[in-house]
Amino acid sequence: MARILLALVAALALVAGAAQAQRVNLLCSPDLAWCEALGPAFTEATGIPLDFIRVSSQDALARIRAEAANPVFDVWFGGTGDPHLIAMREGIAEMYIPTVWDELIPELKSVINEEYIPLYAGAIGFVVNEEALGGAPLPRTWRDLTDPAYRGLIAMPDPTSSGTAYTTLATLIQIFGEDEAFELLEDIHLNIAQYTSSGAAPGQLAGRGEVAIAVQFMHDGVKFAAQGFPLTTYAPEEGVGYEIGGITLIANAPNRDAAIEFIEWALTPEAQAIAGQQGESYQIQSNMNTEQHPLAPDFDEINLIEYDFDRWGDPEVRDRILTRWLNEIFPIPR
Amino acid sequence: MGLRFSGAWLPALIAIVGFLALPFGRPGRPFLTIDPNLYGWAIGHPLLWLVLASALAALVISLLKLPTSPRGDLLVVAGAVGLGAGVLWLLLTATPFGMGALVAATGMALVLGHALSESGRVQGDAFIATSILIVSLFVLLFIIYPLFMVLRSAFVIEGAFDLSQFRRTIGHPLFFFLENPRSAIDEVGLTLRWGVVVGLLSAGWALFRRQRLPVVLARLVLGGVLGLILGAMFYGRGALPTSLLTVAIVAPACTLLGLAFALLGQRSRFRPVRRSLDVISVLPIITPPFILAFAMIFLLGRRGIITHGVFDISSNWIYGIPGVALAQILAFTPIAYLLLRGSISSLNPALEEAAQTLGAGPWTTLKTITWPLVRPGLAAAFLLSMIESLADFGNPMILGGDRNFLATEVYLSLTGRYNAHEAASYGVVLLALVLLAFFVQRWWLGGGSFVTVTGKPSGGALAPIPRAIEVLLSAVLVVWTLFVASLYVSIVVGSFAQLWGVNYSLTTRHYRDFMTAGWPVFLYTARVAAISAVPAMLLGFLVAYLVSRHRFWGRRFVEFGSLLSFATPGTVMGVAYIFAFNTGPWLLTASATIIILALVFRNMPVAIRAAVAGLAQIDPSLEEASTMLRARSFTTLRRVLFPLLVNTLVTGLIFAFVSAMTAVSQVIFLVSPGNQLATVLLLGWVEQGQLGRAAAMGTILIVSMLLTILVVLALAQRISARVVRVES
Repeated sequence: MARILLALVAALALVAGAAQAQRVNLLCSPDLAWCEALGPAFTEATGIPLDFIRVSSQDALARIRAEAANPVFDVWFGGTGDPHLIAMREGIAEMYIPTVWDELIPELKSVINEEYIPLYAGAIGFVVNEEALGGAPLPRTWRDLTDPAYRGLIAMPDPTSSGTAYTTLATLIQIFGEDEAFELLEDIHLNIAQYTSSGAAPGQLAGRGEVAIAVQFMHDGVKFAAQGFPLTTYAPEEGVGYEIGGITLIANAPNRDAAIEFIEWALTPEAQAIAGQQGESYQIQSNMNTEQHPLAPDFDEINLIEYDFDRWGDPEVRDRILTRWLNEIFPIPR
Repeated sequence: MGLRFSGAWLPALIAIVGFLALPFGRPGRPFLTIDPNLYGWAIGHPLLWLVLASALAALVISLLKLPTSPRGDLLVVAGAVGLGAGVLWLLLTATPFGMGALVAATGMALVLGHALSESGRVQGDAFIATSILIVSLFVLLFIIYPLFMVLRSAFVIEGAFDLSQFRRTIGHPLFFFLENPRSAIDEVGLTLRWGVVVGLLSAGWALFRRQRLPVVLARLVLGGVLGLILGAMFYGRGALPTSLLTVAIVAPACTLLGLAFALLGQRSRFRPVRRSLDVISVLPIITPPFILAFAMIFLLGRRGIITHGVFDISSNWIYGIPGVALAQILAFTPIAYLLLRGSISSLNPALEEAAQTLGAGPWTTLKTITWPLVRPGLAAAFLLSMIESLADFGNPMILGGDRNFLATEVYLSLTGRYNAHEAASYGVVLLALVLLAFFVQRWWLGGGSFVTVTGKPSGGALAPIPRAIEVLLSAVLVVWTLFVASLYVSIVVGSFAQLWGVNYSLTTRHYRDFMTAGWPVFLYTARVAAISAVPAMLLGFLVAYLVSRHRFWGRRFVEFGSLLSFATPGTVMGVAYIFAFNTGPWLLTASATIIILALVFRNMPVAIRAAVAGLAQIDPSLEEASTMLRARSFTTLRRVLFPLLVNTLVTGLIFAFVSAMTAVSQVIFLVSPGNQLATVLLLGWVEQGQLGRAAAMGTILIVSMLLTILVVLALAQRISARVVRVES
């Protein structure tokens, strides 16, 4: 009995205790294909092995918080900017100025007050399946979405569980003012077929023809179209908000040196080009020397609003807006 | 009489060596780091000296020539002090335990086991006493403690008892709201009306049955409450009424369908019917999560092949309660069937024959003989489908639409709203519901023995079911089989289609993608699942043996613990493990170990049930004979029970393995870099729209699990035949 138990204990311990050399543990929030392409390219460039987990940016923040006393991860790669900002302000992430800092697009750095390292930018837009519209015209503006012709044909993510949806709410409020935005949201709500829990899911519903119009990030719409779904992607005329994805060094990272090497590498034009070439990810990359992918939505042709990241990234503002949405819009029967 | 030495000398020596040679704590996550500052003797804390001192004392005492019983008592003291001091030090300093602590604690636990047996405080030899001790410790550490941490996180905020967070969650519209000012109807009024109507109906029924007045009043109140709950489920919104309404649809449907299939399976005149039921019954266990829900969308959704293609319906009905309920009925009916099959097959045909000899027709027999006898089985099937429905994570994730469900809210509140207190509060509610269901079931079944198998062969053939009913049930089965088959076929088709749902030209692209991105994860998952299955089975067997063959102090505790581990919804247990094993002395997260442990304690109850059922068929006199011949209990277990139960145990092993392969909700929070699991990866692909690849992985999982089950069960039959032959 004693022997069996000891053997069991020893076996468990052996399984658990893998060798610990320098390697990068990555929390990866963008598209899975991009995350998968990073590891081999990074290891080829530097010889350092890389393991990653793909989790949404909210999930990533939750994990970094939960593990703050004993971090598992070294770098948090990508994902919408607000949680990166929160992580920085809470001190569970560390601001590291990379050597390529001066090559990063200045506007991206300035709108976030240089509080975290910008990795890419992507704008909100409409992703439309014309076939599923059933003859109704393409919506051109946010206001068009309130047209009763689109009843049951619109999908957007659920603001209570998706950062994408929150960016959409904040966009509308910044364009129309809070009260008018909520009136608009109420009318759009009547046309909504489904609020999805994941930010990229509306485009998939539209792709399969289960809805006709998806409100979400344009680079995801472009991706689904590239995969073969019959979708067109564009920005509404009144203007759209956008996200600035971050790359962040986690405070007390277990492999700090390797983590810094990864951040330096990930911001080079060669590494950033991987996103579009292998990663099915068509955001605007943050290094101005990166050759942007032809499918990436061109920011010069989009009416971008002046998104106030400092104000709308504040957890208290976020909480207030979401509560208002939950109390005023969510209960309306449709 | 007395042994010259106590058997405790060896484990005491092991504890001493472990304490001296291995570090007691560790600086961080890695297990095998040797930090010279963290040796027990280098730290020099009085509690640690106490550990060493009591281990030495145990060694000396066990070698002393003393009467067995008082020596046992002394050893109990030494073992308990040593174990307690070590644990206390870990708790006080919150240092992650090291290998030294692990070995020393194991040694001291073994000392304590020997001592308890020798002192006569536990009836049984050292093996039994040690097993009881170890099993209790496991239950405490890996089931009770994590759940306690969930409670703590729901009610304790920054060190103080605080109900505000719990109240906030409960009062939140995502959890439950009834009166909707934006709707045209008056929800509260309608709910009240439901309460009144159902209350009056149930009281009226009691009057009609000429019950006494207090009973009628009690019926009025109970019925009123039931009506209010029904009304709130129907008119309310939020996670609580949504989950309850789904349960209210799924549990009766699964139980009825399960009963229908069980009747067919045991009493049908056609062999193919019984054969197809055997296949249907394993499907839910081998099917990975999420995939079936997608197949349903492509068959029944707005653009579904059946709904849109055949019937030209364009409706989003599938998102929400109807879709989730349908998916759950498909998934859990086979589970209800398996339970009911047992209770139908254990009906003694002689009873029915007797009824029919006395002139009862098939209907009367069914009503007066069969029904009361299958009632416990029905209750068990109802309860199980209820728990499964409440805990289901995969189907609401895909088909929930914008309705919230309790089990997914646990996940979404932690990952979408990053609020651990809220996740814990949802967990507490789920746990409370499940436990309530258990107690209601106990209360309903009450006393009364339903044992009809006496161990003596029961003669007579099973009465066939009435012809009309058989035809009806067979029709249900045929529709069911066709639908399930088309779902599985569409998964395979989806895995070979360019773009599932849009472009059906053939490709092997998804399988090639799977080989590069998914195959290593698949292999790793298989390894982890295999590693977890062995302890799950052994532990389950041990618990079953202890609980059904021994009376000991703490037996209820062990029973309750294993019940909890089985009843706790997976997402709640996953959150609990994060709370319990992320910092402090039991730091285990971000390792394969924590995943394996989670799977072991998740699947242990399956093995327990299998082993209890197996043990019930073995006459205890066999073991008594072995004990009489002076075999120790471990020898009896190994030489008598084990060979007789090989078949059961291998079945338990294989099901533990398969359910570990397809588990998702309990491990979704526990994966870490390098410890990725197939089902979690599958969720990632599904969320990213890589449906073809997901279908490819689903197909490979289903086929490989099916093959595994078939091959292993065939082998097991052969092995058990040989073992029985050799032993006799």
